Amino acid sequence: MLTRDRLGALLMLVFSLGYGVMIFDIPLLPFQANQAFTARTMPQALSVLGIVLSLALLLRPVSAAETNEEAAWRQAMRQLLRPTPADEEGRRTHPLVRVALLCALMVVYGLTVRPFGFLLSTTVFLAGGMFVLGERRLWLLLGVSIAVTLFFWVLMTQFLGVYIAPLPQVLGR
Amino acid sequence: MLDGILVGLSTAASPLNILMVAVGCFAGTFIGMLPGLGPISAIALMIPITYGFDPATGLILMAGVYYGAIFGGSTSSILINAPGVAGTVATAFDGYPLAKQGHAGKALAIAAYSSFSGGTIAAIFLLIAAPSLAVVSLAFQSTDYFALMVLGLTAVAAFAGRGKVLKALLMTVLGLMLSTVGTDQTLGMQRFTFGMLDLIDGISFLLLAMATFALSEALMSVLKPKTAADIQREKEANANLGSMKLSSAEVKDIAPVVGRSSILGFLVGVLPGAGATIASFLAYGMEQRLAGPDKGKEFGKGSIRGLAAPETANNAACSGSFVPLLTLGIPGSGTTAIMLGALISYGIQPGPRLFVENPEVFWSVIISMYLGNVILLVLNLPLIPYIARVLALPHTVLVPLILFFSLIGVYFVSFNTFDIQLMVIFAIAAVVLRLLDMPMAPMLLGFILGGMMEENLRRALIINNDSWSFLWERPLTLSILVIAALVLVAPMISPLIGRSLAGRREDAGEGG
Repeated sequence: MLTRDRLGALLMLVFSLGYGVMIFDIPLLPFQANQAFTARTMPQALSVLGIVLSLALLLRPVSAAETNEEAAWRQAMRQLLRPTPADEEGRRTHPLVRVALLCALMVVYGLTVRPFGFLLSTTVFLAGGMFVLGERRLWLLLGVSIAVTLFFWVLMTQFLGVYIAPLPQVLGR
Repeated sequence: MLDGILVGLSTAASPLNILMVAVGCFAGTFIGMLPGLGPISAIALMIPITYGFDPATGLILMAGVYYGAIFGGSTSSILINAPGVAGTVATAFDGYPLAKQGHAGKALAIAAYSSFSGGTIAAIFLLIAAPSLAVVSLAFQSTDYFALMVLGLTAVAAFAGRGKVLKALLMTVLGLMLSTVGTDQTLGMQRFTFGMLDLIDGISFLLLAMATFALSEALMSVLKPKTAADIQREKEANANLGSMKLSSAEVKDIAPVVGRSSILGFLVGVLPGAGATIASFLAYGMEQRLAGPDKGKEFGKGSIRGLAAPETANNAACSGSFVPLLTLGIPGSGTTAIMLGALISYGIQPGPRLFVENPEVFWSVIISMYLGNVILLVLNLPLIPYIARVLALPHTVLVPLILFFSLIGVYFVSFNTFDIQLMVIFAIAAVVLRLLDMPMAPMLLGFILGGMMEENLRRALIINNDSWSFLWERPLTLSILVIAALVLVAPMISPLIGRSLAGRREDAGEGG
């Protein structure tokens, strides 16, 4: 049976194998070939250790108590894939979609913080994050995001002496 | 030692540092109170701010945050049965029943007094133990350090709890693997950089800590939305806390508990790998047994002893965990690991030399622990009814703020947008691993110790002419490695021994 432990072990096994294969890409100078310790030694040991431990976790027998725990975990995971029950306003939300959207928002923030400047990108990120999480009150969305962005910018630039470009690059900063 | 205490006192008592202890305690309480966010996240969120200060001030701020986060975790454990920190899970056993009986104020006061006593008593032990150990550890060589790091890593896995040893070990190895990314420190070879310039310097520990703790904890809280019952509990928690006064009989009842739990907590905290969580559970179990059959039955139903024991022990363990950090430079827990990472980025090498080269850092941290405990008691306790309102803050606002502070905290150190993308990747991986119930703290510990471990091992090999014989020829190294092996094997064989003993007893019973 593919339990959560085994799933974790499988992931780690794949990672350790991939890590092990990539060790061959670490360059070695000719005189290092016979040395006891090279840049590859530690990664090699870790890769072997990772594979051995993953296999041990993968092949470990599952006890009766763990089977019950496993059932509860499966139930919780299934719950994750379904939308939550409707809230007071009749909205049903999908936690997994929310997390995916928040991650996408973070990636976009990383891509925009330079070209669009700190003030605009941060305000949009904060307001967007709140919107994704179900906040629909416009005054709260804009009020909190603008206030936090401005407060943080003033704190960093005026008090802690860290320069952050506030405006979009096209405006010449 | 007296000179050191005076140096520490003059550093810690400067207005800026007192302010930092207060800010740290306050911010820590605030963050620790948010269910799901623990001290590691709290400290990680503070690190970018500490870069602007000198190391002593930075470490004082982080120590304050650590205490505050544990105290904040206790508050959410007591008020809404949602421990923000693993170390305060045992607090909820009796704290929440007390709050449900209408004694939330009293429970919070007991938690604050116990934390204060535990922290203060342990700080006295620290004052005595740390310098003595620091003097002894001056005799340690790289081989011993390598062995100590192996011990630290195996102990974290061994104390991970039943059925989790293998998982914790795997996560430690994962952390060690991540630490090898970047340029090899002595030979200058690039490892696992995929030809990317951004990875040449390796992965920053702050980035990893923020992504795998603060970010992933915030994302996990979105995955586990609050139920109607949770929201109701939060509303009730803020309605009425009741009186915060304790009767003299109650004080007499908990005084011996506090004394015993302080000692136990400190000793457990000193052990590598065992931290506040184990200390609190051990103290709870010990007091339940010592309470006798009548009082023992009250445990779990609102016993003040059952609340005082874990609260004292977790704070004492926090102080205890500073002993290996300050004297050997080896963190005993995920939280002290992140402090070690911060110290290294300040350019300070913790370990026996810290005591000699940066006495002001060494002593001011110890002295600031007293201050931290006083501030927690004097400032936080009266403010608890107000701070508790943070529990009622809408999640929709809090989560984006945590995400923002995590991302920007890392970005402001490197000014490299690649770091933000890397954080998202690590955060997603951490969420997946958390869903699979893989512990994250051993990974962070492995990551932080990885570089030092490799360096010490390599140095040891150079000193020994490329011979591995130092592992068994140097008695101190061998002893530490044997202890590490025993620590690792003990949890695996103890159930087997238990089973065979039980089997024998059954046989004897049947025979007789």
